[in-house]
Amino acid sequence: MKYLLFLLLFLLILGVVGVASNPSPGFAALSLVMVAGSGCSLLAGQGGYFLALILFLIYLGGMLVVFAYSVAFTGSDYVEGWGTRRISLAAAGYLLLVWGGGVILSTNLNEEFWTVGASFGEFMFLEYSLVGVAHLYMGGGWLLVAGAWALLLVLLAVLELVRGASRGAVRVV
Amino acid sequence: MSPYMLIILIFTLGLGTLITLSSSHWLIAWMGLELNTFAILPLMAQQHSPRAMEATIKYFIIQTTAATMLLFASVSNAWLSGQWEIQQMSHPTPLALITIALALKLGLAPMHAWFPEVLQGLNFSTGLILSTWQKLAPFSLLLQIPPTSSFLLITLGFISVLMGGWGGLNQTQLRKILGYSSIAHLGWMILIMQYAPPLTLLALTVYIVLTSSMFLTFLYNQATNINSLAISWTKTPMLTALTPLVLLSLGGLPPLTGFLPKWAILQELTKQGLTPVAALTALSALLSLYFYLRLSYATALTTPPNNLPATLPWRIIFKQPTTFLAVLITMSLSLLPLSPSVMAFFTF
Repeated sequence: MKYLLFLLLFLLILGVVGVASNPSPGFAALSLVMVAGSGCSLLAGQGGYFLALILFLIYLGGMLVVFAYSVAFTGSDYVEGWGTRRISLAAAGYLLLVWGGGVILSTNLNEEFWTVGASFGEFMFLEYSLVGVAHLYMGGGWLLVAGAWALLLVLLAVLELVRGASRGAVRVV
Repeated sequence: MSPYMLIILIFTLGLGTLITLSSSHWLIAWMGLELNTFAILPLMAQQHSPRAMEATIKYFIIQTTAATMLLFASVSNAWLSGQWEIQQMSHPTPLALITIALALKLGLAPMHAWFPEVLQGLNFSTGLILSTWQKLAPFSLLLQIPPTSSFLLITLGFISVLMGGWGGLNQTQLRKILGYSSIAHLGWMILIMQYAPPLTLLALTVYIVLTSSMFLTFLYNQATNINSLAISWTKTPMLTALTPLVLLSLGGLPPLTGFLPKWAILQELTKQGLTPVAALTALSALLSLYFYLRLSYATALTTPPNNLPATLPWRIIFKQPTTFLAVLITMSLSLLPLSPSVMAFFTF
Protein backbone atom coordinates (compact mmCIF):
# COMPACT_ATOMS: atom_id res chain seq x y z
CA MET A 1 0.00 0.00 0.00
CA LYS A 2 2.84 2.33 0.86
CA TYR A 3 4.46 1.49 -2.45
CA LEU A 4 1.26 2.35 -4.32
CA LEU A 5 0.96 5.68 -2.47
CA PHE A 6 4.56 6.49 -3.23
CA LEU A 7 4.13 5.62 -6.89
CA LEU A 8 1.02 7.80 -7.25
CA LEU A 9 2.67 10.77 -5.52
CA PHE A 10 5.76 10.37 -7.68
CA LEU A 11 3.66 10.34 -10.85
CA LEU A 12 1.73 13.38 -9.59
CA ILE A 13 4.86 15.48 -9.08
CA LEU A 14 6.37 14.29 -12.35
CA GLY A 15 3.18 15.19 -14.19
CA VAL A 16 2.96 18.64 -12.59
CA VAL A 17 6.56 19.34 -13.59
CA GLY A 18 5.68 18.18 -17.07
CA VAL A 19 2.70 20.55 -17.29
CA ALA A 20 4.80 23.50 -16.15
CA SER A 21 7.69 22.84 -18.53
CA ASN A 22 5.76 21.80 -21.62
CA PRO A 23 7.11 22.54 -25.11
CA SER A 24 3.61 22.90 -26.54
CA PRO A 25 0.02 22.79 -25.19
CA GLY A 26 -0.62 19.27 -26.46
CA PHE A 27 2.22 17.93 -24.33
CA ALA A 28 0.85 19.83 -21.36
CA ALA A 29 -2.55 18.23 -21.90
CA LEU A 30 -1.00 14.76 -21.87
CA SER A 31 0.88 15.56 -18.69
CA LEU A 32 -2.31 16.88 -17.17
CA VAL A 33 -3.96 13.51 -17.84
CA MET A 34 -1.19 11.83 -15.86
CA VAL A 35 -1.61 14.36 -13.06
CA ALA A 36 -5.36 13.86 -12.96
CA GLY A 37 -5.03 10.09 -13.03
CA SER A 38 -2.63 9.85 -10.11
CA GLY A 39 -4.32 12.63 -8.16
CA CYS A 40 -7.73 11.09 -8.52
CA SER A 41 -6.44 7.68 -7.44
CA LEU A 42 -4.96 9.28 -4.33
CA LEU A 43 -8.24 11.06 -3.66
CA ALA A 44 -10.27 7.89 -4.14
CA GLY A 45 -7.98 6.07 -1.76
CA GLN A 46 -8.82 8.63 0.91
CA GLY A 47 -12.57 8.27 0.43
CA GLY A 48 -13.24 10.99 -2.13
CA TYR A 49 -14.57 8.71 -4.86
CA PHE A 50 -17.23 11.13 -6.17
CA LEU A 51 -14.83 14.00 -6.73
CA ALA A 52 -12.40 11.69 -8.53
CA LEU A 53 -15.10 10.37 -10.84
CA ILE A 54 -16.45 13.86 -11.58
CA LEU A 55 -12.93 15.13 -12.26
CA PHE A 56 -12.29 12.41 -14.81
CA LEU A 57 -15.63 12.84 -16.52
CA ILE A 58 -15.97 16.63 -16.64
CA TYR A 59 -12.47 17.96 -16.36
CA LEU A 60 -10.59 15.45 -18.48
CA GLY A 61 -13.41 14.20 -20.67
CA GLY A 62 -15.08 17.57 -21.25
CA MET A 63 -12.89 20.57 -20.62
CA LEU A 64 -9.52 19.11 -21.57
CA VAL A 65 -10.94 17.64 -24.77
CA VAL A 66 -12.32 21.01 -25.86
CA PHE A 67 -9.05 22.66 -24.89
CA ALA A 68 -7.03 20.20 -26.95
CA TYR A 69 -9.38 20.68 -29.91
CA SER A 70 -9.10 24.45 -29.86
CA VAL A 71 -5.36 24.33 -29.32
CA ALA A 72 -4.87 21.89 -32.19
CA PHE A 73 -5.81 24.67 -34.62
CA THR A 74 -2.85 26.72 -33.50
CA GLY A 75 -0.25 24.02 -34.01
CA SER A 76 3.10 24.87 -35.51
CA ASP A 77 5.22 22.96 -37.99
CA TYR A 78 8.37 22.39 -35.95
CA VAL A 79 7.56 21.33 -32.39
CA GLU A 80 10.30 20.42 -29.98
CA GLY A 81 9.85 17.48 -27.64
CA TRP A 82 10.82 16.78 -24.07
CA GLY A 83 14.44 15.98 -24.90
CA THR A 84 15.82 19.35 -25.95
CA ARG A 85 18.16 21.16 -23.59
CA ARG A 86 15.79 24.08 -23.00
CA ILE A 87 12.89 21.89 -21.91
CA SER A 88 14.93 19.52 -19.76
CA LEU A 89 16.57 22.48 -18.00
CA ALA A 90 13.15 23.98 -17.31
CA ALA A 91 11.85 20.66 -16.02
CA ALA A 92 14.87 20.24 -13.77
CA GLY A 93 14.31 23.75 -12.45
CA TYR A 94 10.68 23.07 -11.60
CA LEU A 95 11.61 19.78 -9.96
CA LEU A 96 14.14 21.60 -7.81
CA LEU A 97 11.47 24.16 -6.92
CA VAL A 98 9.04 21.45 -5.84
CA TRP A 99 11.69 19.62 -3.83
CA GLY A 100 12.83 22.83 -2.17
CA GLY A 101 9.28 23.82 -1.36
CA GLY A 102 8.63 20.42 0.12
CA VAL A 103 11.74 20.65 2.30
CA ILE A 104 10.78 24.10 3.55
CA LEU A 105 7.11 23.36 4.17
CA SER A 106 7.37 19.86 5.64
CA THR A 107 6.43 19.85 9.32
CA ASN A 108 4.69 17.03 11.16
CA LEU A 109 3.90 14.60 8.39
CA ASN A 110 1.71 12.34 10.55
CA GLU A 111 -1.11 14.72 11.36
CA GLU A 112 -4.32 14.90 9.35
CA PHE A 113 -5.23 18.29 7.99
CA TRP A 114 -8.01 17.69 5.55
CA THR A 115 -11.28 15.77 5.42
CA VAL A 116 -13.29 14.77 2.40
CA GLY A 117 -16.61 14.13 4.05
CA ALA A 118 -18.65 13.69 7.21
CA SER A 119 -21.83 12.12 8.46
CA PHE A 120 -24.97 13.91 7.35
CA GLY A 121 -28.23 13.08 9.06
CA GLU A 122 -28.81 9.31 9.00
CA PHE A 123 -26.03 8.62 6.47
CA MET A 124 -22.74 7.42 7.91
CA PHE A 125 -20.24 8.93 5.50
CA LEU A 126 -20.89 11.22 2.54
CA GLU A 127 -18.43 13.36 0.66
CA TYR A 128 -18.74 17.13 0.95
CA SER A 129 -18.70 17.47 -2.82
CA LEU A 130 -21.46 14.91 -3.21
CA VAL A 131 -23.68 16.73 -0.74
CA GLY A 132 -22.86 20.06 -2.40
CA VAL A 133 -23.83 18.87 -5.85
CA ALA A 134 -27.01 17.35 -4.47
CA HIS A 135 -27.91 20.72 -2.92
CA LEU A 136 -27.21 22.49 -6.20
CA TYR A 137 -29.69 20.27 -8.01
CA MET A 138 -32.19 20.23 -5.16
CA GLY A 139 -32.47 23.87 -4.04
CA GLY A 140 -30.37 25.52 -6.75
CA GLY A 141 -33.29 26.30 -8.98
CA TRP A 142 -32.67 28.80 -11.74
CA LEU A 143 -29.07 29.23 -10.63
CA LEU A 144 -28.37 25.76 -12.00
CA VAL A 145 -29.83 26.80 -15.35
CA ALA A 146 -27.78 30.02 -15.32
CA GLY A 147 -24.64 28.07 -14.52
CA ALA A 148 -25.30 25.62 -17.35
CA TRP A 149 -25.97 28.54 -19.69
CA ALA A 150 -22.67 30.14 -18.68
CA LEU A 151 -20.76 26.95 -19.49
CA LEU A 152 -22.53 26.60 -22.84
CA LEU A 153 -21.80 30.22 -23.65
CA VAL A 154 -18.08 29.86 -22.99
CA LEU A 155 -17.97 26.84 -25.28
CA LEU A 156 -19.77 28.73 -28.05
CA ALA A 157 -17.57 31.82 -27.59
CA VAL A 158 -14.40 29.73 -27.84
CA LEU A 159 -15.63 27.91 -30.93
CA GLU A 160 -16.60 31.23 -32.51
CA LEU A 161 -13.19 32.72 -31.73
CA VAL A 162 -11.20 29.87 -33.27
CA ARG A 163 -13.49 29.70 -36.30
CA GLY A 164 -11.34 32.22 -38.16
CA ALA A 165 -10.35 29.86 -41.01
CA SER A 166 -7.31 31.90 -42.14
CA ARG A 167 -9.16 35.20 -41.73
CA GLY A 168 -7.94 35.72 -38.18
CA ALA A 169 -4.69 35.82 -36.32
CA VAL A 170 -5.47 33.00 -33.86
CA ARG A 171 -5.88 30.07 -36.21
CA VAL A 172 -3.06 28.65 -38.30
CA VAL A 173 -4.90 26.52 -40.87
CA MET B 1 -21.59 36.00 -37.86
CA SER B 2 -24.39 33.48 -37.80
CA PRO B 3 -27.64 35.09 -36.55
CA TYR B 4 -28.09 32.30 -33.97
CA MET B 5 -24.69 33.11 -32.52
CA LEU B 6 -25.47 36.83 -32.53
CA ILE B 7 -28.72 36.27 -30.67
CA ILE B 8 -27.07 34.04 -28.08
CA LEU B 9 -24.27 36.56 -27.46
CA ILE B 10 -26.54 39.59 -27.18
CA PHE B 11 -28.93 37.69 -24.92
CA THR B 12 -26.04 36.66 -22.68
CA LEU B 13 -24.78 40.25 -22.52
CA GLY B 14 -28.15 41.29 -21.16
CA LEU B 15 -28.37 38.26 -18.87
CA GLY B 16 -24.93 38.81 -17.36
CA THR B 17 -25.58 42.43 -16.47
CA LEU B 18 -29.00 41.54 -15.09
CA ILE B 19 -27.53 38.78 -12.92
CA THR B 20 -24.93 41.14 -11.46
CA LEU B 21 -27.43 43.95 -10.94
CA SER B 22 -29.82 41.72 -9.02
CA SER B 23 -27.36 39.72 -6.94
CA SER B 24 -26.63 39.89 -3.24
CA HIS B 25 -24.02 37.10 -3.18
CA TRP B 26 -20.50 37.73 -4.40
CA LEU B 27 -20.26 34.49 -6.40
CA ILE B 28 -23.39 35.36 -8.35
CA ALA B 29 -22.09 38.88 -9.04
CA TRP B 30 -18.82 37.37 -10.27
CA MET B 31 -20.74 34.95 -12.48
CA GLY B 32 -22.61 37.85 -14.13
CA LEU B 33 -19.36 39.70 -14.77
CA GLU B 34 -17.77 36.62 -16.34
CA LEU B 35 -20.83 36.09 -18.54
CA ASN B 36 -20.45 39.66 -19.82
CA THR B 37 -16.75 39.19 -20.50
CA PHE B 38 -17.17 36.00 -22.48
CA ALA B 39 -20.23 37.13 -24.40
CA ILE B 40 -18.56 40.19 -25.83
CA LEU B 41 -15.35 38.44 -26.96
CA PRO B 42 -16.71 36.99 -30.24
CA LEU B 43 -18.46 40.31 -30.93
CA MET B 44 -15.13 42.08 -30.63
CA ALA B 45 -13.37 39.57 -32.87
CA GLN B 46 -16.00 39.84 -35.59
CA GLN B 47 -13.74 41.77 -37.91
CA HIS B 48 -11.03 39.11 -37.84
CA SER B 49 -8.26 41.65 -38.47
CA PRO B 50 -5.05 41.32 -36.40
CA ARG B 51 -5.86 44.59 -34.66
CA ALA B 52 -9.30 43.36 -33.67
CA MET B 53 -7.89 40.06 -32.40
CA GLU B 54 -5.24 41.91 -30.43
CA ALA B 55 -7.90 44.15 -28.89
CA THR B 56 -9.96 41.06 -28.00
CA ILE B 57 -7.06 39.31 -26.32
CA LYS B 58 -6.05 42.44 -24.39
CA TYR B 59 -9.64 42.92 -23.20
CA PHE B 60 -9.89 39.29 -22.15
CA ILE B 61 -6.66 39.34 -20.14
CA ILE B 62 -7.53 42.59 -18.36
CA GLN B 63 -11.09 41.54 -17.52
CA THR B 64 -10.12 38.11 -16.23
CA THR B 65 -7.37 39.62 -14.08
CA ALA B 66 -9.92 41.98 -12.59
CA ALA B 67 -12.45 39.17 -12.10
CA THR B 68 -9.82 37.00 -10.40
CA MET B 69 -8.92 39.82 -8.04
CA LEU B 70 -12.62 40.26 -7.31
CA LEU B 71 -13.03 36.56 -6.58
CA PHE B 72 -9.96 36.52 -4.34
CA ALA B 73 -11.20 39.52 -2.40
CA SER B 74 -14.70 38.08 -1.94
CA VAL B 75 -13.33 34.71 -0.82
CA SER B 76 -11.02 36.50 1.63
CA ASN B 77 -14.00 38.45 2.91
CA ALA B 78 -15.97 35.21 3.28
CA TRP B 79 -13.11 33.68 5.24
CA LEU B 80 -12.73 36.71 7.51
CA SER B 81 -16.37 37.55 8.13
CA GLY B 82 -18.11 34.24 7.44
CA GLN B 83 -20.68 35.46 4.94
CA TRP B 84 -20.97 36.37 1.28
CA GLU B 85 -23.30 39.37 1.30
CA ILE B 86 -22.23 42.21 -0.97
CA GLN B 87 -23.58 44.95 1.28
CA GLN B 88 -22.17 43.47 4.47
CA MET B 89 -18.47 43.54 3.73
CA SER B 90 -16.75 44.52 6.93
CA HIS B 91 -13.02 44.10 6.46
CA PRO B 92 -11.03 46.98 4.90
CA THR B 93 -8.51 44.92 2.92
CA PRO B 94 -10.97 42.96 0.78
CA LEU B 95 -12.95 46.19 0.32
CA ALA B 96 -9.94 48.03 -1.04
CA LEU B 97 -9.03 45.09 -3.27
CA ILE B 98 -12.57 44.92 -4.67
CA THR B 99 -12.53 48.67 -5.39
CA ILE B 100 -9.25 48.30 -7.28
CA ALA B 101 -10.51 45.23 -9.16
CA LEU B 102 -13.69 47.04 -10.23
CA ALA B 103 -11.62 50.10 -11.20
CA LEU B 104 -9.51 47.85 -13.43
CA LYS B 105 -12.68 46.45 -14.97
CA LEU B 106 -14.02 49.93 -15.71
CA GLY B 107 -10.80 51.43 -16.99
CA LEU B 108 -10.14 54.02 -14.30
CA ALA B 109 -6.71 55.55 -14.01
CA PRO B 110 -4.12 54.42 -13.11
CA MET B 111 -5.44 51.16 -14.63
CA HIS B 112 -6.65 52.83 -17.83
CA ALA B 113 -3.95 52.14 -20.42
CA TRP B 114 -5.81 49.25 -22.04
CA PHE B 115 -9.02 51.10 -22.76
CA PRO B 116 -8.16 53.41 -25.70
CA GLU B 117 -6.16 50.68 -27.44
CA VAL B 118 -8.96 48.15 -27.09
CA LEU B 119 -11.51 50.66 -28.38
CA GLN B 120 -9.28 51.44 -31.37
CA GLY B 121 -9.44 47.83 -32.51
CA LEU B 122 -13.23 47.64 -32.57
CA ASN B 123 -15.89 48.92 -34.92
CA PHE B 124 -18.15 51.66 -33.61
CA SER B 125 -21.13 49.54 -32.58
CA THR B 126 -19.05 47.11 -30.51
CA GLY B 127 -17.13 50.03 -29.04
CA LEU B 128 -20.46 51.57 -28.05
CA ILE B 129 -21.45 48.41 -26.16
CA LEU B 130 -18.04 48.36 -24.48
CA SER B 131 -18.30 52.00 -23.39
CA THR B 132 -21.87 51.97 -22.15
CA TRP B 133 -23.38 48.59 -21.35
CA GLN B 134 -20.23 47.04 -19.88
CA LYS B 135 -19.96 49.84 -17.36
CA LEU B 136 -23.32 49.14 -15.73
CA ALA B 137 -22.46 45.91 -13.90
CA PRO B 138 -19.21 47.08 -12.22
CA PHE B 139 -20.89 50.35 -11.21
CA SER B 140 -23.77 48.50 -9.59
CA LEU B 141 -21.26 46.61 -7.47
CA LEU B 142 -19.28 49.74 -6.61
CA LEU B 143 -22.45 51.50 -5.50
CA GLN B 144 -23.47 48.63 -3.25
CA ILE B 145 -20.29 47.98 -1.26
CA PRO B 146 -19.90 49.74 2.09
CA PRO B 147 -17.79 52.91 2.19
CA THR B 148 -14.11 52.21 1.74
CA SER B 149 -11.00 54.36 2.08
CA SER B 150 -11.99 57.83 0.89
CA PHE B 151 -8.41 58.56 -0.13
CA LEU B 152 -8.54 55.65 -2.61
CA LEU B 153 -11.76 56.81 -4.26
CA ILE B 154 -10.73 60.45 -4.50
CA THR B 155 -7.33 59.48 -5.93
CA LEU B 156 -8.90 57.14 -8.49
CA GLY B 157 -11.39 59.83 -9.50
CA PHE B 158 -9.05 62.77 -9.75
CA ILE B 159 -6.27 60.88 -11.54
CA SER B 160 -8.84 59.53 -14.03
CA VAL B 161 -10.11 63.02 -14.86
CA LEU B 162 -6.53 64.24 -15.24
CA MET B 163 -5.28 61.29 -17.34
CA GLY B 164 -8.44 61.21 -19.41
CA GLY B 165 -7.96 64.81 -20.39
CA TRP B 166 -4.20 64.74 -20.72
CA GLY B 167 -3.99 61.50 -22.70
CA GLY B 168 -6.61 62.56 -25.21
CA LEU B 169 -4.76 65.72 -26.18
CA ASN B 170 -2.43 64.08 -28.69
CA GLN B 171 -4.96 61.82 -30.42
CA THR B 172 -6.26 62.04 -33.96
CA GLN B 173 -8.11 58.72 -33.96
CA LEU B 174 -11.70 59.25 -32.89
CA ARG B 175 -12.11 55.97 -31.05
CA LYS B 176 -9.10 56.71 -28.89
CA ILE B 177 -10.48 60.18 -28.18
CA LEU B 178 -13.77 58.63 -27.09
CA GLY B 179 -11.82 56.18 -24.93
CA TYR B 180 -10.01 58.95 -23.09
CA SER B 181 -13.27 60.88 -22.73
CA SER B 182 -14.78 57.76 -21.14
CA ILE B 183 -11.90 57.57 -18.65
CA ALA B 184 -12.39 61.22 -17.68
CA HIS B 185 -16.16 60.85 -17.19
CA LEU B 186 -15.72 57.71 -15.12
CA GLY B 187 -13.36 59.72 -12.93
CA TRP B 188 -16.10 62.26 -12.23
CA MET B 189 -18.48 59.45 -11.32
CA ILE B 190 -16.08 57.79 -8.89
CA LEU B 191 -15.21 61.12 -7.25
CA ILE B 192 -18.69 61.68 -5.89
CA MET B 193 -19.57 58.04 -5.19
CA GLN B 194 -18.90 58.05 -1.47
CA TYR B 195 -20.74 61.34 -0.82
CA ALA B 196 -23.82 61.18 -3.05
CA PRO B 197 -24.41 57.91 -4.94
CA PRO B 198 -27.44 59.29 -6.84
CA LEU B 199 -25.10 61.80 -8.49
CA THR B 200 -22.94 58.91 -9.67
CA LEU B 201 -26.00 57.39 -11.32
CA LEU B 202 -26.90 60.78 -12.81
CA ALA B 203 -23.39 61.22 -14.22
CA LEU B 204 -23.43 57.67 -15.59
CA THR B 205 -26.77 58.10 -17.33
CA VAL B 206 -25.91 61.48 -18.83
CA TYR B 207 -22.56 60.07 -19.96
CA ILE B 208 -24.24 57.07 -21.62
CA VAL B 209 -26.61 59.38 -23.53
CA LEU B 210 -23.79 61.70 -24.63
CA THR B 211 -21.33 59.04 -25.65
CA SER B 212 -23.97 57.04 -27.51
CA SER B 213 -24.73 60.18 -29.53
CA MET B 214 -21.06 60.55 -30.42
CA PHE B 215 -20.54 56.90 -31.29
CA LEU B 216 -23.66 56.82 -33.47
CA THR B 217 -22.68 60.10 -35.16
CA PHE B 218 -19.26 58.73 -36.03
CA LEU B 219 -20.88 55.47 -37.15
CA TYR B 220 -23.24 57.35 -39.42
CA ASN B 221 -20.43 59.38 -40.93
CA GLN B 222 -18.08 56.35 -41.04
CA ALA B 223 -15.41 58.70 -39.71
CA THR B 224 -12.52 57.10 -37.83
CA ASN B 225 -10.11 60.02 -37.59
CA ILE B 226 -10.24 63.78 -37.49
CA ASN B 227 -9.54 64.14 -41.21
CA SER B 228 -12.49 61.91 -42.15
CA LEU B 229 -14.66 63.78 -39.70
CA ALA B 230 -13.67 67.06 -41.31
CA ILE B 231 -14.87 66.10 -44.77
CA SER B 232 -18.07 64.44 -43.56
CA TRP B 233 -20.02 67.70 -43.42
CA THR B 234 -21.37 67.01 -46.86
CA LYS B 235 -23.28 63.92 -45.75
CA THR B 236 -25.79 65.49 -43.39
CA PRO B 237 -25.60 69.21 -42.72
CA MET B 238 -28.06 68.90 -39.83
CA LEU B 239 -25.92 66.34 -38.03
CA THR B 240 -22.85 68.41 -38.74
CA ALA B 241 -24.49 71.44 -37.17
CA LEU B 242 -25.49 69.50 -34.05
CA THR B 243 -22.25 67.55 -33.51
CA PRO B 244 -20.28 70.48 -32.04
CA LEU B 245 -23.09 71.07 -29.56
CA VAL B 246 -22.98 67.43 -28.44
CA LEU B 247 -19.21 67.69 -28.10
CA LEU B 248 -19.52 70.82 -25.98
CA SER B 249 -22.13 69.00 -23.90
CA LEU B 250 -19.55 66.24 -23.35
CA GLY B 251 -17.14 68.95 -22.29
CA GLY B 252 -19.60 70.11 -19.66
CA LEU B 253 -20.59 73.54 -20.86
CA PRO B 254 -23.87 75.18 -19.90
CA PRO B 255 -26.64 75.45 -21.13
CA LEU B 256 -26.26 71.88 -22.40
CA THR B 257 -27.06 68.65 -20.55
CA GLY B 258 -23.45 67.71 -19.86
CA PHE B 259 -23.23 70.64 -17.44
CA LEU B 260 -25.74 69.09 -15.05
CA PRO B 261 -23.65 66.25 -13.56
CA LYS B 262 -20.53 68.39 -13.30
CA TRP B 263 -22.47 71.17 -11.62
CA ALA B 264 -24.11 68.84 -9.12
CA ILE B 265 -20.82 67.05 -8.39
CA LEU B 266 -18.89 70.28 -7.83
CA GLN B 267 -21.64 71.57 -5.56
CA GLU B 268 -21.68 68.38 -3.51
CA LEU B 269 -17.89 68.29 -3.22
CA THR B 270 -17.87 71.88 -2.00
CA LYS B 271 -20.59 71.12 0.53
CA GLN B 272 -18.47 68.23 1.85
CA GLY B 273 -15.54 70.56 2.34
CA LEU B 274 -13.42 69.30 -0.55
CA THR B 275 -13.11 72.60 -2.40
CA PRO B 276 -9.47 72.12 -3.51
CA VAL B 277 -10.37 68.74 -5.03
CA ALA B 278 -13.35 70.30 -6.77
CA ALA B 279 -11.25 73.16 -8.14
CA LEU B 280 -8.47 70.88 -9.38
CA THR B 281 -10.93 68.50 -11.02
CA ALA B 282 -12.72 71.35 -12.77
CA LEU B 283 -9.37 72.61 -14.04
CA SER B 284 -8.48 69.11 -15.29
CA ALA B 285 -11.74 68.99 -17.19
CA LEU B 286 -10.40 71.88 -19.25
CA LEU B 287 -7.97 69.46 -20.87
CA SER B 288 -10.86 67.31 -22.13
CA LEU B 289 -12.69 70.43 -23.27
CA TYR B 290 -9.71 71.31 -25.45
CA PHE B 291 -9.91 68.18 -27.56
CA TYR B 292 -13.69 68.36 -27.76
CA LEU B 293 -13.25 71.89 -29.09
CA ARG B 294 -10.69 70.62 -31.57
CA LEU B 295 -13.18 68.05 -32.83
CA SER B 296 -15.96 70.62 -33.20
CA TYR B 297 -13.51 72.92 -34.98
CA ALA B 298 -12.78 70.14 -37.49
CA THR B 299 -16.43 69.15 -37.83
CA ALA B 300 -18.39 72.33 -38.34
CA LEU B 301 -16.36 75.44 -37.69
CA THR B 302 -14.24 74.80 -40.78
CA THR B 303 -15.42 73.35 -44.10
CA PRO B 304 -12.55 71.54 -45.82
CA PRO B 305 -12.83 71.14 -49.59
CA ASN B 306 -13.70 67.81 -51.15
CA ASN B 307 -13.93 66.15 -54.55
CA LEU B 308 -16.91 66.85 -56.79
CA PRO B 309 -18.62 63.45 -56.21
CA ALA B 310 -18.40 63.98 -52.45
CA THR B 311 -20.00 67.38 -52.31
CA LEU B 312 -23.47 68.01 -50.99
CA PRO B 313 -26.11 66.50 -53.29
CA TRP B 314 -29.31 68.31 -54.13
CA ARG B 315 -31.48 65.73 -52.42
CA ILE B 316 -30.05 64.24 -49.23
CA ILE B 317 -30.51 60.48 -49.15
CA PHE B 318 -30.65 58.92 -45.67
CA LYS B 319 -28.76 55.64 -45.74
CA GLN B 320 -29.54 54.50 -42.22
CA PRO B 321 -32.40 55.09 -39.80
CA THR B 322 -31.48 57.97 -37.53
CA THR B 323 -34.46 58.08 -35.18
CA PHE B 324 -32.55 56.81 -32.17
CA LEU B 325 -29.68 59.18 -32.85
CA ALA B 326 -32.13 62.08 -33.10
CA VAL B 327 -33.64 61.22 -29.72
CA LEU B 328 -30.21 60.90 -28.12
CA ILE B 329 -28.99 64.21 -29.52
CA THR B 330 -32.15 65.97 -28.35
CA MET B 331 -31.62 64.57 -24.89
CA SER B 332 -27.95 65.52 -24.85
CA LEU B 333 -28.66 69.13 -25.72
CA SER B 334 -31.79 70.13 -23.93
CA LEU B 335 -32.15 68.37 -20.57
CA LEU B 336 -30.62 71.14 -18.44
CA PRO B 337 -33.85 73.13 -17.90
CA LEU B 338 -35.36 69.91 -16.57
CA SER B 339 -32.63 69.52 -13.92
CA PRO B 340 -34.93 69.27 -10.87
CA SER B 341 -36.99 66.42 -12.30
CA VAL B 342 -33.90 64.70 -13.74
CA MET B 343 -32.23 64.77 -10.35
CA ALA B 344 -35.38 63.66 -8.58
CA PHE B 345 -35.43 60.71 -10.94
CA PHE B 346 -32.17 59.46 -9.49
CA THR B 347 -32.68 60.20 -5.83
CA PHE B 348 -34.09 57.03 -4.37
